[in-house]
Amino acid sequence: MKSSLKNMVLVLFTITAVSALLVALVNTVTKETIAQTEQKNKDLAKLEVLPAFEGEAELEEQTKQIGDFTVGVTKVSANGEVVGYAVEAPSITKNGYADRIYLMVGFVEKEGQTLINGIKVLSQKETPGLGANMTKEGNKLELSAVGKNPAEMTFKVKKDDASGSFDSLTGSTISSRAYANAMETAYAGYLWAKGELDTSEEAIADAPTGASTVTEGADTPTGATVAEGDYANETEPEAQKGEISNE
Amino acid sequence: MSKLQLITKGILKENPTFVLILGMCPTLGVTSSAVNGMGMGVATMAVLIMSNIVISLIKNLIPDKVRIPAFIVVIASFVTIIEMLMKAYVPALYASLGVFIPLIVVNCIILGRAEAFASKNGVVDSALDGVGIGLGFTLSLTVIGMVREALGAGSIFGYNFAGDVMPLLFILAPGGFIVLGYLMVLFNKIAKR
Repeated sequence: MKSSLKNMVLVLFTITAVSALLVALVNTVTKETIAQTEQKNKDLAKLEVLPAFEGEAELEEQTKQIGDFTVGVTKVSANGEVVGYAVEAPSITKNGYADRIYLMVGFVEKEGQTLINGIKVLSQKETPGLGANMTKEGNKLELSAVGKNPAEMTFKVKKDDASGSFDSLTGSTISSRAYANAMETAYAGYLWAKGELDTSEEAIADAPTGASTVTEGADTPTGATVAEGDYANETEPEAQKGEISNE
Repeated sequence: MSKLQLITKGILKENPTFVLILGMCPTLGVTSSAVNGMGMGVATMAVLIMSNIVISLIKNLIPDKVRIPAFIVVIASFVTIIEMLMKAYVPALYASLGVFIPLIVVNCIILGRAEAFASKNGVVDSALDGVGIGLGFTLSLTVIGMVREALGAGSIFGYNFAGDVMPLLFILAPGGFIVLGYLMVLFNKIAKR
């Protein structure tokens, strides 16, 4: 078709208007279903990371704000007995290669000890074939944590710190660090839900929102993460590189 | 050109990856394993067939000078709609192909075929062209993925045969370029005969 100013403007306008309308329409129709599916997956993940049980599951949910992030702790009980805690946690100080990593971690108590029962990756955008292997069953990261007592673990990768508990995935140290960090957040969330959060860990959980709250886990000794206030006079921690938005 | 030729030319004579050398970004990005390559190929094929059909239907309504922006808007909205529908109604499929869908918008094969073929041909031919080029893309990506996975991770389609000793380089980007280059030479050598 020959172009004239009139028909170009008209056609482009019509095409963009119709496309925008269609996209908006489909978005309205599918929004609810998508949210439901995500919720369902999350609920399934909660049960998947905990041991199998009989009877109806009772879920008791609490959420905790850590800086700009939300840690969701779900206490799962059946027949009046606590099965365990499923904690949904993001990696806070350590970004993955592309985005934050969200984990669902199941904690159970056995003979007075807390054990990590299962881990499921809720969302990640790591490189397929490398970091994305963290979603595979029986990967090194999962094996480094499942069945262990988190109180005795060091939430670091062995490559960074010989005492670290996590074997990193081949070729994906950054993804592995984020994974270890999300595990640390999950454990802090679990302790908080149980009311056992000690002062040093209170620092992560209660750090004031707004000011980029949390320090690099690697700078501090294990388990005790210090609020950024303590670092106020130092140079900006790495974690600030546009990762934790201030407001 | 016969209908069958429309399909076979996409696989051999106009193979998008090895001959036309289009869509290199997703090609190098996702072929770290055979399954990923295949997933990207299949998702692209679906979008390509549909966008070719739509473009050939509306080609007579679009003034020449604004055809490219018009095609881009059509393709991008189309992909977005597919992504939302897939996420809502076939979450299982979305879980395996979902990561590739946004990448398809920037795949120049789609725009290339809209411009070079669908805007000049009828609906049926354009759909068949989509099938042909889509198949060519899928097969190429699967082969590249297989070679990279075999050399880099010692497995094929996820089945490990060599343990953990293979050079990781082939999964990483440089290995992608190396494998792509050698496969391109091989393909053109064989295809020229």
